[in-house]
Amino acid sequence: MDILNQLKTQAEQVEVLRLQNEQTSVKFEANKLKTSTVAETRGTAVRVIRQGKLGFAASSDDTALDKLAANVLESACYGDEVPLRFPDPGPFAPVRIFDRTVADLPIARLVEIGEEILDLILPVEPEARCNISLTRSVQSVRIRNQTGLDISYQRSPFSIGFEIDRIVGDDVLILYNMFGTTVWDDDYLAFARSLVEKLKLARRIVPIKGGNMPVLFSPVGTLALAIPLNEGLNGKNVYKGTSPLIGKLGEKLFDQKIGITDDGTIDGKFASAPCDDEGVPHRRNVLVEDGRLKSFLYDLKTAALFGVETTGNASRGLFNPPEPSPTNFMLQPGQTPLKAIIARIDQGILVEDLLGIGQGNVISGAFSNPLSLAFKIERGEIVGRVKDVSIAGNVYELLRNVAAVSQEAQWVYSTFYAPYLLLPEMNVVAKG
Amino acid sequence: MRDRMQEAIKRSKADYSEIRIEEKESTRIAYQGKDLENAGTVLDKGGIVRVLVRSKGWGVATFNNLDDLATRVDQAYQCAQVASSPEPIEMAEVEPVEKAITVKMKLDFRNVSLAEKKALAERQNDILRGYSDKIIDTFSLYVDSFSRVTFANSQGTFIEAERPSVALAAVAIARDGDNVQQAHKTDAAPAGFEYVLEKEELAKQAARRAVELLGAKRVMGGQYPVVLDPLLASVFIHEAFGHLSESDFVYENPKAREMMVLGRQFGKELLNVYDDGSIEGLRGTTLYDDEGTPGRRNDLIKDGILVGRLHSRETAAKMGERPTGNARAVNYRFAPIVRMTNTAIQNGDSSFADMIRDIELGIYACDAYGGETQLENFSFSSGYAYMIRHGQIAEMVKDVILAGNLFMTLANIDLIGNDFRWISGAGGCGKANQANLPIDCGAPHIRIQNVVIGGES
Repeated sequence: MDILNQLKTQAEQVEVLRLQNEQTSVKFEANKLKTSTVAETRGTAVRVIRQGKLGFAASSDDTALDKLAANVLESACYGDEVPLRFPDPGPFAPVRIFDRTVADLPIARLVEIGEEILDLILPVEPEARCNISLTRSVQSVRIRNQTGLDISYQRSPFSIGFEIDRIVGDDVLILYNMFGTTVWDDDYLAFARSLVEKLKLARRIVPIKGGNMPVLFSPVGTLALAIPLNEGLNGKNVYKGTSPLIGKLGEKLFDQKIGITDDGTIDGKFASAPCDDEGVPHRRNVLVEDGRLKSFLYDLKTAALFGVETTGNASRGLFNPPEPSPTNFMLQPGQTPLKAIIARIDQGILVEDLLGIGQGNVISGAFSNPLSLAFKIERGEIVGRVKDVSIAGNVYELLRNVAAVSQEAQWVYSTFYAPYLLLPEMNVVAKG
Repeated sequence: MRDRMQEAIKRSKADYSEIRIEEKESTRIAYQGKDLENAGTVLDKGGIVRVLVRSKGWGVATFNNLDDLATRVDQAYQCAQVASSPEPIEMAEVEPVEKAITVKMKLDFRNVSLAEKKALAERQNDILRGYSDKIIDTFSLYVDSFSRVTFANSQGTFIEAERPSVALAAVAIARDGDNVQQAHKTDAAPAGFEYVLEKEELAKQAARRAVELLGAKRVMGGQYPVVLDPLLASVFIHEAFGHLSESDFVYENPKAREMMVLGRQFGKELLNVYDDGSIEGLRGTTLYDDEGTPGRRNDLIKDGILVGRLHSRETAAKMGERPTGNARAVNYRFAPIVRMTNTAIQNGDSSFADMIRDIELGIYACDAYGGETQLENFSFSSGYAYMIRHGQIAEMVKDVILAGNLFMTLANIDLIGNDFRWISGAGGCGKANQANLPIDCGAPHIRIQNVVIGGES
């Protein structure tokens, strides 16, 4: 018997999530293609509410569904009482996340794309060692519950992850990033071109003296500021009481120029889907507007605990119960062209990437990182790379006063969208 | 299953083929604050085929459906055909072995009821929550897992291994106004339920530390002599040095090879570092790695000199060295790569009192709170720390982040303590998307001169 129908006779509420994934990937290591992989995964996760108590179990073994059913009922015996209700069906956001072109990409084409990227980088930087992994997948998701909700969708994620290092003598430069999409993008080499530009710029090393100066964060560098915000905006951390944003809804906490949204309904984006992992329709959520805190991110459980509506931000892997999590997390672009921002900096730095982003007491907003790639800006121009430099500060203090936000913005690590952001003054520590 | 695996391998057209099947049952109980987040069991069963076509490369197929292994072998073979290694890939010789590794737990957690496991996690959580009204949030975790891994390759090796694991974690988050601090303690072993009994101290320590940190001042940035506690010292040696001694990092990288050349002076004569996958009862212990190579002790730094590195069969062949038993995969979804097992700084002869006695102004940094390394550059957060003033441990400080260059830092280790211990933490090591591979690391206290501590000065 179907596990949903079987469990419906034994529990008030039942949710069945079925995941299937079929994936091909090729991996270039040190500029050479050495390994190719096909992966097929499948599994079922079940939640029930029985006598008011929540239970969870999951299995990747399709031959042991009886055991799965027994496990979820046992789990519910010991579960907490949670006032949550699995959602009624839809209406679901129409969002484009499946593309035949991606789904049908043959393994030979993945290899070819990898070689095209190497052909861009290696002539310019013969010393570079590139690890590039290219992956295409077809994911099938089906979520059902006792209300009659039954949604299935397919996604076709395509991603290019890369790690490039260049070691010359004692000088080490390592760059990471990931490009991801769910519909074919003809300009899949754009990120590789911008990488080459960074590598070129980084060749000239210039000295720098520490002190207070304007600091411009690139879209990748902005992650150092966004990760604490991401944690602080998570409904689970607010419920736990650890978010510094607790009790501050509606307050103006940041500079007027700061806007943050989370949107799982953008066509083709990596974290887009018609609904979240509990079958709740995805939507665009405004989290910060003109510096004012508007909303947190919730799933069913955290929303129920707060007595509010879920924002459709439940996220889960097969083996874990859902938790609130951002989809496509976006720091809104601003009004100023990047060129104009740089032009008005007399003496400052551009932070391209930091070492150890997300470590330490992230939730507090504090960060302290060495810069793995940073440039010196002098009289309105980028003059060269600076080394052995670090910055420290607290996001919640720093973002109260932002000098400029660029018009230009980029997707980094597939699901984070950010502009360049200029802080008027930060303490920059330079060694030597 | 053995017949089906060996039959499928026999039909492979590749130069080398292996199949690994894993069946795992895992129970997890998590309390978050006053709420039980989850108490339940998950089942994971799947397999991986890896084949080598010497003139081309590796092909891998992973799957949950175990019905048709021969087709999986063929898929992996097709994958290997698209690779294009410029030189043939070789594997160092390893003696074929047939072995069944069974474990006896004193108290088999598979026979312990969910109710009893829940009670244990709840008790830890109650201790955390009850410690102080400043504790605003807690996390108490109990996890056990039992895997059965079956490995067969085309060279006649067949190994069945049982791998039990039991772990506890306790996290306390304390708050005073805008000041939010956290502390965590974990403990884990390849053992039965007996290992997690009477561990209330874990929760007490985490709670006490989180509350203490509320009163700690932010450290002033600058250069200090720093004494690391065994936990931070062992995480440092694992992260900052251990990963560089994994040969997949150096074997195709002439520059890294230069940097990690055997015979190079890495520290003062008192520094000895090793990795050992053969020590019974530790979390990183393998007995056989995921290529069927037996685990053993591998000296990495001896008397301050770099003397060894860690290998898979491929990297060993490439560098003309012996396989070391360090090819490991976190589960059946991944091919093995070069990983550490149990990595340690060998015991020295200084007492803790000796180490701090002549420090006018320094830092005693304890516990690790995450870190990242890029080649020889590293950045680590300590969980908590104290100033050392006039040879005495003084006030607690927070946000102590050590950053620097590995070679300079290792060379600046001037004292090694006589109080070695293994850490046996519940976390694991992450590399190339294979996160939380069970490892252990160990060290005594160590002292390092001229460490750069981040922060406002």
